[in-house]
Amino acid sequence: MKKILIPISLLLLALFLPELVGRNPYFTGIMINVLMMASLASAWNIPGGYAGQFSFGHAAYFGAGAYTTLILLSGNPIDPLLALLAGVVTASLIALITGSIVFRLRGHYFALASIAVAEIVRLSVLNLQFTGGAQGILLSDLTFHGIDLNSKIPFYYGMLMILVLSMGTTAYIQSSRMGYYLQAIREDQDAAASLGINVALYKNRALLVSAALSSVTGSLYGLYIRFIDPGAVLDLRLSIEIILTAIIGGVGTIWGPVLGAILLVPLAELLRSNVIGDTLISMGIVSDVSPVGHFFKEGLAHAHVLVYGVITVVCILFMPQGVLGITRRRK
Amino acid sequence: MEPLLTIDQVTRRFGGNVAVSGVSFSVMKGDITGLIGPNGAGKTTLFNCMTGYISLDAGTIIFEGRRINGKRPDQMCRLGMVRTWQRVKPLGKLSVLENVMIGAFVTTASPKVAGKASLEQLQAVGLDRYADQPAGTLPIGLKKKLELARVMATRPKMVLLDEICGGLNHAETESVLDIVRMLRKRGVTILFIEHDMKAVTSICDRIVVLSSGEKLAEGTPEEITSHPAVIEAYLGGGYHAQG
Ligand SMILES: Nc1ncnc2c1ncn2[C@@H]1O[C@H](COP(=O)(O)OP(=O)(O)O)[C@@H](O)[C@H]1O
Ligand SMILES: [Mg+2]
Repeated sequence: MKKILIPISLLLLALFLPELVGRNPYFTGIMINVLMMASLASAWNIPGGYAGQFSFGHAAYFGAGAYTTLILLSGNPIDPLLALLAGVVTASLIALITGSIVFRLRGHYFALASIAVAEIVRLSVLNLQFTGGAQGILLSDLTFHGIDLNSKIPFYYGMLMILVLSMGTTAYIQSSRMGYYLQAIREDQDAAASLGINVALYKNRALLVSAALSSVTGSLYGLYIRFIDPGAVLDLRLSIEIILTAIIGGVGTIWGPVLGAILLVPLAELLRSNVIGDTLISMGIVSDVSPVGHFFKEGLAHAHVLVYGVITVVCILFMPQGVLGITRRRK
Repeated sequence: MEPLLTIDQVTRRFGGNVAVSGVSFSVMKGDITGLIGPNGAGKTTLFNCMTGYISLDAGTIIFEGRRINGKRPDQMCRLGMVRTWQRVKPLGKLSVLENVMIGAFVTTASPKVAGKASLEQLQAVGLDRYADQPAGTLPIGLKKKLELARVMATRPKMVLLDEICGGLNHAETESVLDIVRMLRKRGVTILFIEHDMKAVTSICDRIVVLSSGEKLAEGTPEEITSHPAVIEAYLGGGYHAQG
């Protein structure tokens, strides 16, 4: 009973959250980012956390969704849902090609290959005509079944739906044979194979599901932000943020990636908006002419990935199961 | 009796080192066949070839009348040939029960059914008390039993046991051998790599001796323990002295 009660009350809270903040666009924007990172980290977690196949290039699937959807919609009056499905097809193809080549090899080739593939995707988008190159793609008008898309609220609920889909998929996999198989692969591939697991097939399945979910997240992000360029949706930094979110929250669990996003996205926002630096300076704790003050004022805003990195190192050293692992152990 | 497995002129090289050299023998249905030989004789390499972990350089392997060269390990498992590991490979973070369930999933996709069947296997090898413990935390003697329970859960026709008694004390060895006998009673054919000569002679119907990658001798335990070349190469004459 308790098992269902907590998710349901959290879902209810999430449903009413925009009202609780008075539909404030700034906070709604941050909450959309939380949901987006939670969904991406959840998707990454399926091959990464369960099967132990660390992708360092998940931005490729996110970006594939965003780009495919926006390219199709700019100038074509097609249903955004169709454009979103087309994104899933693109991302799935990238995943299938990557996986079918690299999952046959032993060792850590997948981690390397995932970076390489993501860079190939990024550089292609950067240099092709129809992708808009470095200038990116702007979606000037967007309609969807009469919903007011100038408000952030529909996108909040859209992202919430995608997160529920990602978590539901994870929960379903975890409770089925596939979940056991993925974890067996993570623990020992040779033993897994000797017990009848087609290791390459299951890795491919995990990556495919993950790529599709990431792509849907990317499509919705593209529709929400309406302007994308390679730096925003295909960058290695995004891939790293996804991994760190999952690791800090707790890999191989349903709630870990969500917890990671709830902790990290607001933290990144604090760093970006310079709240910490401004507060420290205005409280007179550091002076804005000193090097430390200068760092807080100028450097910290650009340093959130660095801060994530430091948190991750601390995490790996002191709580290898992530923040969720700590709450588990206390029980 | 008919052979379940036939190995014909199997050769495997590692660079210039011929780990297995033109080895041929058959394993009869329902038998326990011992595969013995000094360290580095090529026993594990032969297992790796049979279960699809490494390729052959020459030769044929026939299982149930079918040529199985080039099959993947998971395919071999689903055909009914399953192995254990000389260096045990527990799925460390999974529970003991979940380890066995991975094997049981060969027979069913339902975690519920697999869980029930796996608990029975754990009871059969006496590990049910540890069902919820992470497999990585078991002592070596129990890890070896876990390997057996996992393999049994796949409902194999034939199991390949690689030094399943290696590193165990006398009592542990006896209780593992009891499990092997139980497996045979269930109709499972067994190929048994073992160092402990006493264990081999007490339990095997036939024995194949490897030395430096080549088959040195083959026969009943009595024939093998009195075979001059075997005594020379493997036992170094010390076996009779130890009794
Ligand atoms: N993966 C490998 N790469 C290179 N040489 C190997 C490999 N596996 C086994 N060998 C060599 O093959 C020979 C047989 O080894 P092995 O089959 O492990 O012997 P046994 O199990 O009888 O002790 C040894 O000389 C060993 O060094
Ligand atoms: Mg060996």
